[in-house]
Amino acid sequence: MTEPKDIARQFDFHGEALDNIFENYAELRAKCPVGRSEKYGGFWFITKSDDIFAAEQDPEAFSVAPSMLLPAFGTDMPLIPIDIDPPMHQDYRRILLPLFTPQVLKNLEEPIRQTARDLATEFVRKGSGGDASYLYARPLPTIIFSRLAGYPEKDWPKFDRWVDDIIYHRVEDPERARKAGEELIAYFDNLLASWDNEGESSTLIDYILRAEIDGRKLNHAELQSYCYLLFVAGLDTTAWAIRSGLWHLAHNLEDQRKLRANPELIAFACEEFLRTLSPVQAMARTCLKDTVIRGQQIKRGDRVAFVFGAGNRDEEIYANPDKIDVAREENRHLAFGAGIHRCLGSNLGRRELLAGIEEFLRIVPEFRAADSTEKWHGVSSLTLEF
Amino acid sequence: MKVFVDPNRCQGHARCMFFAKDVFEIDDEGYAKVKVGFEMIPAELELSVRKACANCPERAISVTAS
Repeated sequence: MTEPKDIARQFDFHGEALDNIFENYAELRAKCPVGRSEKYGGFWFITKSDDIFAAEQDPEAFSVAPSMLLPAFGTDMPLIPIDIDPPMHQDYRRILLPLFTPQVLKNLEEPIRQTARDLATEFVRKGSGGDASYLYARPLPTIIFSRLAGYPEKDWPKFDRWVDDIIYHRVEDPERARKAGEELIAYFDNLLASWDNEGESSTLIDYILRAEIDGRKLNHAELQSYCYLLFVAGLDTTAWAIRSGLWHLAHNLEDQRKLRANPELIAFACEEFLRTLSPVQAMARTCLKDTVIRGQQIKRGDRVAFVFGAGNRDEEIYANPDKIDVAREENRHLAFGAGIHRCLGSNLGRRELLAGIEEFLRIVPEFRAADSTEKWHGVSSLTLEF
Repeated sequence: MKVFVDPNRCQGHARCMFFAKDVFEIDDEGYAKVKVGFEMIPAELELSVRKACANCPERAISVTAS
């Protein structure tokens, strides 16, 4: 039995550490709700929902500089807008806010569903099963987000490797992530240099190119940073969310049958997948002034991780918190964060997740997990048989 | 029952629209407000407004008895 102080010392929220992380969350919430890990140069972690929520509402105490990402996403450049503090943060964010409202995203509903149906139909046509991550969970957001952002279709096949290297291999092989990061920056440099600015198109890239802050256009470094952020934020998280939902349903046939029989529950199930199996288990800050949380002093300059994944299973907020209850009605989870840095794409991510699960259930007959070694987390293979 | 959205707290999660789209609306930047004429909630919409309140990640929605 590992002591709580040892769990704290070794606490990590990436890679293999995620395999059994929910047991560690429970132990930490109970015995060491604010603790210190030795990983990634040392950082504090906060695991209680109310503490995370309060810290999220206090950008004057917790800065997103040098980065919300721990460890870095293959680059040291601060990513716009997530790594930017007020007052500039809101100027950057407002450029794209109008494109991510529910009313505007309604225009994507049919394209998302059509893409989901095409992918699911192809998945079924192949026979008795296959890798639902590679054939469905990953391509769906890649296609939808790439069209929205304006990434040319001929480039899409390159994207999975950049995502894998930058987001997944950064932990054990930071150099590999940096190399992919440089390739991604070069890719956007080329794309921006050849961009047709005269047209009427209204992709995300058009918006950031046309945007003005206090009467000036974004400079090249700002454009690079915004493009980099959109890429790493728009493709992977939604793929993980869809894959983890399918993972749960593949392992829990009772829930799968319940959703097939009561499709109106799928929207609630998706919120529950986000609460319990979220793609973003934690985000980092830097403490700007000496602060005390639950009796634990945190010094100015210390790095702090807000562990959403732990807070989302907090027994003080959720009844039966580790149970994935596909009909749970009260669910104010923090999978998209809270406060001024709330995930800008949350309305899109939710829409893709919901349509993705609904269409898969509609088109693919009852499926189960064919490989019990495949984990709940990440975007690697999810082998299903039906 | 009365309902109020605190504009300083709302961050645009839009969960209220899922539970009570008759009562809330979203502005051009994604922030929620109570529709004009719905400050007092008709009895038949009270339950959905309570659900919206309970599901707001920012605790931005408050309901009061009168």
